[in-house]
Amino acid sequence: MLKIIVCFKWVIDEADIKVSGKSRELDLSRVAYKISDYDRNAIEEAVRLQEQLGGSVVAVTVGPPTAKQSLKDALSRGPEKAVFVSDPAFDSLEPAQTAAILAEVITKNLEYDLIICGEGSSDLYAQQVGPRLAEKLGIPCATYVEKIIIKDKELIAERKMRDGIEVVSMPLPALVTVMPTINTPRIPSLKQVLGAAKKPVVNLSAKDLEGKYEPCLKTTSLLAATMERKRIKFTDDPQDIRKVVDALLKEGVIS
Amino acid sequence: MPGVWVIAENSNYTLELLSKGLEIANELNEKLVAFSFGNEELANDYISCGADEVFVLPALNRELPFEAYVPLIVAEAKKEMPEAIIVCATQRGTELASRVAAGLNTGLATGCISVRVDKGNLVMERLVFGGAAVQTVICTTRPQMAAIPPGTYEKAQPREDRRGQIKVVAGNVETKVKVVERRKKEQEEIDLTEAKIIVSVGRGFEKQEDISLARELARLLGGEVGCTRPIAEELHWLPEERYMGISGKKVKPDLYIGLGVSGQVQHVTGIRDAKIIMAVNTDENAPIFDAADYGIVGNLYDVVPKLMTEIKAALNK
Amino acid sequence: MDFRLTEEQEIIRQSVREFAAKYIDPIANECDENKHFPMEVFKKIAEQEWMGIPYPQEYGGAGSDYLTYVIVIEELSRADAGIGFTVECHTSLAAFPIFKYGTEEQKQKYLVPLCKGEKFGSFCLTEPGAGTDAGSAQTTAVLDGNEWVLNGSKMFISNSPIAEIFIVFAMTDKSKGTKGMSAFIVPREAPGLRVGEHLNKMGIRSSLTAEVIFKDCRIPKENLLGQEGQGFKIAMHTLDGGRIGIAAQALGIAQAALDESIKYSKERVQFGKPIASFQAIQWMIADMATDIQAARFLTYHAAWCYDQGLPYNKEAAMAKLFAAECAARHTNRAVQIHGGYGYIKGHKVERLYRDAKITEIYEGTSEVQRMVIANNLLR
Repeated sequence: MLKIIVCFKWVIDEADIKVSGKSRELDLSRVAYKISDYDRNAIEEAVRLQEQLGGSVVAVTVGPPTAKQSLKDALSRGPEKAVFVSDPAFDSLEPAQTAAILAEVITKNLEYDLIICGEGSSDLYAQQVGPRLAEKLGIPCATYVEKIIIKDKELIAERKMRDGIEVVSMPLPALVTVMPTINTPRIPSLKQVLGAAKKPVVNLSAKDLEGKYEPCLKTTSLLAATMERKRIKFTDDPQDIRKVVDALLKEGVIS
Repeated sequence: MPGVWVIAENSNYTLELLSKGLEIANELNEKLVAFSFGNEELANDYISCGADEVFVLPALNRELPFEAYVPLIVAEAKKEMPEAIIVCATQRGTELASRVAAGLNTGLATGCISVRVDKGNLVMERLVFGGAAVQTVICTTRPQMAAIPPGTYEKAQPREDRRGQIKVVAGNVETKVKVVERRKKEQEEIDLTEAKIIVSVGRGFEKQEDISLARELARLLGGEVGCTRPIAEELHWLPEERYMGISGKKVKPDLYIGLGVSGQVQHVTGIRDAKIIMAVNTDENAPIFDAADYGIVGNLYDVVPKLMTEIKAALNK
Repeated sequence: MDFRLTEEQEIIRQSVREFAAKYIDPIANECDENKHFPMEVFKKIAEQEWMGIPYPQEYGGAGSDYLTYVIVIEELSRADAGIGFTVECHTSLAAFPIFKYGTEEQKQKYLVPLCKGEKFGSFCLTEPGAGTDAGSAQTTAVLDGNEWVLNGSKMFISNSPIAEIFIVFAMTDKSKGTKGMSAFIVPREAPGLRVGEHLNKMGIRSSLTAEVIFKDCRIPKENLLGQEGQGFKIAMHTLDGGRIGIAAQALGIAQAALDESIKYSKERVQFGKPIASFQAIQWMIADMATDIQAARFLTYHAAWCYDQGLPYNKEAAMAKLFAAECAARHTNRAVQIHGGYGYIKGHKVERLYRDAKITEIYEGTSEVQRMVIANNLLR
């Protein structure tokens, strides 16, 4: 019987971001939100492990009060309970704060054998919350995991590294961050969506926290990414292709 | 003097960070400290490449992962209080940096695409929202930490006249995490991030055999063949280390040639540092043409042979 | 007044979009091209519990409401109007009359497998000589001992090639006119039932349509649905709900046309600028979006009336009339915006243009909708 905690983040759907003209400013006035992509893999993995081994899955998120919308979405994907830590000030937390808040909430409120996070969030992709949380809780962790096996009180994880696969083992309790390749999240069925409202949610606010979690990073600007390119188009006519080759020669990129 | 630290999981990446570290240390007026893991000989290389001091940490047992050094690094940092720590953002490096930052209660910017110094702060740029935006951050706590992907900088060059100190850090490296197996990548060892010319295969290719067309073009130009994510991950036509994008390789060739590549933002993010981008696509509205310097609207099966003929003529091959 | 959907409805809309992107978008063109019915997709739709959305869980349904159902039809149709329609016809036309008029026994036997998506349902009203004038049907049913014997043929019957449960309307007493029509539940295996060839339609080609022929087709006496002579009323009541479903289908088609047009007009460059910067295009897009929003509100409102237990016959007719004409008009404009590209097979707007037309025809033509609306206002 495995007690699993899965952490997820409610993020802006990057497909809805518009850029206002030449200023490169982001227009977020009509964006939709979603559960961060890799966190869906985290939730799916937690639910699969629970289906295999028995036990429980609790989903935890930290965010502004508007992130309340995420709870039914997360619960419809299989966890049986959610913990929602919210405060209006939590709308632009940086990873150090999120991890510290999660650490306090988990330590005080939840029992666990395993904590699963996504490898990074689809908005900031800092990839820090998982390992920082493990460090704060003083538990072993494995990041960038593509496969999890649990035997007794031991966890074996396959980590996808630049230079190959690294298989690690560690005792539970432990934390893993998962890659999108670890599974394909299922799409919740209609009854699962309707059933989510009946599942319990524990609501906590900044007042329930002892720690004061100040940011360590300050964002000084956030602008649309641009690429300065020449954008010259040619046809597939041989003469045009010759012009392209001449241009490449002139640029000095072929020789 | 607290210093600027550079930490990477191997010597090549350490040398890359030393070239940037030297610049940062000069601007911050700090000493530059490199880390060598269980290898005193490398310490001298690091010194000749710019390090004022090298901390040599004990060698790891084979069964321990690189991240096992976290407690030792945290302990050293608490003693020395460095001004800045720069880590090479491999997967291991990013985990290590995150945990060190947590141990020191300080801020860290991961995946930095550029770092500069302004008024004593590292000004760090990173891509967010799947590559759609650039976030600039500074760290309000110390040490300030940045994790920078490998391949971002050229390796530092040695100079004969450099002198520095070597400090051997003793201590037990302990962790509950054990490595039970290491499987090196089986595929041919190519590093797209080093390639000067990359011919990229997109969904415009109809069959796997047709990739030979891209290979011929790459061979003619002395380049490598890369691809988009679907070609590697969905179709498995090419190995995974050949796909470029926000979750794949981030490349910086002199010339990138996209064949039948549509130009999704996730792919384009991986090639944004190419000096010149050229694209061939049948759809004149394909987003790749917005990201390209030179675009040819046409069918790659028709264009590539013509292109090779022209290149041969131009280069007298 | 609250225009917000529930959180559940928002989540379900997202899940249908995710489903469509994963399982429908990749095959939609091929299905259209080859008039292929994607059975594997329907297996998955059944797993998602989308085959009996508004019906109670005790009958195998999801126990949700009509508005949620309408959202699912809209989103499925946005990806593939044929797939959206197959679910609509199954839910609104085949399952509904059993749910409303069936005995408990009939519900257990026929409604449960329909709602679970184990069997497909079909609705047989139209005949070669009786379309809009459904009351002039020629198919007969005669009681012979413990069995009804059906004779006649039904035309343009959606889902019939794969259906296992047919709701069939036949005259039990021609002298009584529409009051002499009765409804029957006919299982596929009934002797004397034959389904003709899958028709080669102009649009919604991923759905199946064929003629259904009854030749001395015998079914048990207890397969009469509702009372004898109640058939016409059952058919009309069923179509009222179906119209909300078709409005949702039309809405999905129109929305897809708008999505494609916005995308294309921002990318397509003429005279050195994206065509989206030209007022001619901007006005078309603005009109499309405004009409679609109006169609959406009419459709959702009709579904809401259904869910509230309010009369919805006029509302359904208005929604269907407006949404269908909106889809036909704006898929036309979408092709116009795409120019020559929009006229080529394989471009989504070309398919949408063909798919839209049927929404003005089936489950009551636009003319019939106007009649229904006028009758409501002038009687």
